[in-house]
Amino acid sequence: MAQLGVTEAKMGSRGVVVVQAGILLVCALTPFSVRADEPKPTPENTIHVQLAAAVPPQKFAKPIKFFISDVIDRSGNPQPILVLKERGGVFLDRQPTQITREAIEQSLKAADLLAADATSADLVMQIYIFHFGLAQGSGLDFFGKVEFATTVKNPKTEESQQIQAAGTSIANGAMRKKNIQKNVQANIEGALEDAVRNFLRGTQLREAVASLMKNNPSAPVAAASGGVAFAQGDGSSGHNFKFKFEER
Amino acid sequence: MRLLTVALMASLAVAPGAAAKDSEAAYKTVEAKHFTRVEGVELSPAFTDYLYAELRNELTKTKLFVQVIGEGEAVEDADAAKSMVIEGVITEYKKGNRVTDAILGGYGVGARSLKLDVNLARRSDHQNLGAIKVHVNISPKMKEEVMAKGAAKQIAGQVKKALKQQAKG
Repeated sequence: MAQLGVTEAKMGSRGVVVVQAGILLVCALTPFSVRADEPKPTPENTIHVQLAAAVPPQKFAKPIKFFISDVIDRSGNPQPILVLKERGGVFLDRQPTQITREAIEQSLKAADLLAADATSADLVMQIYIFHFGLAQGSGLDFFGKVEFATTVKNPKTEESQQIQAAGTSIANGAMRKKNIQKNVQANIEGALEDAVRNFLRGTQLREAVASLMKNNPSAPVAAASGGVAFAQGDGSSGHNFKFKFEER
Repeated sequence: MRLLTVALMASLAVAPGAAAKDSEAAYKTVEAKHFTRVEGVELSPAFTDYLYAELRNELTKTKLFVQVIGEGEAVEDADAAKSMVIEGVITEYKKGNRVTDAILGGYGVGARSLKLDVNLARRSDHQNLGAIKVHVNISPKMKEEVMAKGAAKQIAGQVKKALKQQAKG
């Protein structure tokens, strides 16, 4: 009886070994299949996002020049250029930081508000991107969202203010890969335009400019700081600005 | 017969013009703000963002406004009298119950529900042009964003109705 028990136990253990081997085999093979599904950027699944037309900024009381020193990605997204993972993926052709910089510079330049360099600028901007691309929607459509914060700094007075801007866009879903790409592109471009408009035409920027330029000395920037107004002290091109940053 | 054909052709030629006249935007801008929540409403900030986006999308579809502007955007003083602001509060949210919905769903029991109070005001003098109450019920199987879509559609419809009544009266 005891022998029978041992035999049964042995048979059982053989079965367990087979099952374990099977599981091990599946585990060993799974990463490869998953890796095979991971989309990769190709010319066919890459989209070019840009503003269709420059966004006209609001008018300021005094003529003013802006300069964008840095655009930093704070989204925490490990793959910022991958906007859609399904259906072979949809990728951006450039980093969101570059797209955002180009969009704002294009709009400022069209309105003659862009300074050639930091030294000739009245206000210097640092942009922090919190979201760029698609966000969770109803599943029936694409929900595009672009969200960023900008620290506007007067290099002469060292005062700075923070401005929030957000843009959204909702586009119809699609079944065909070609239409998905088209709709995603239109959607992100819409959200980007909306965010840039929200920033450049916002009351927050108007108030920040009014506040930061209130105590501005009339002398040109170059004369005020002996030629190099922006690269002061550490020469970090504005990387070491001190400001209060709202953590999200 | 010829006369009839000419009349038909003329009516077809005039019809698109008449339709275009109807769709002309009567107001310059509308600003939809992010809705706030009363204490105890457990909804994610992402839901508020989606509701905001959907509301702007639905307001664009009404064709009543030349531009649906984002929150906090400046409006020209000349346009302020013909501009609206929409603010709202999410007053109640019930998650719903899948089991109850499966058994008694036909009677609206166990449904996921959302209640909102919305105010429509003129930008120039902040005159209240309508207080809108919205109540959306959906199956708990559906996503919260579907509920936002329904709420946005209802709000846009009510806004259109209120502004048309305002124009008549």
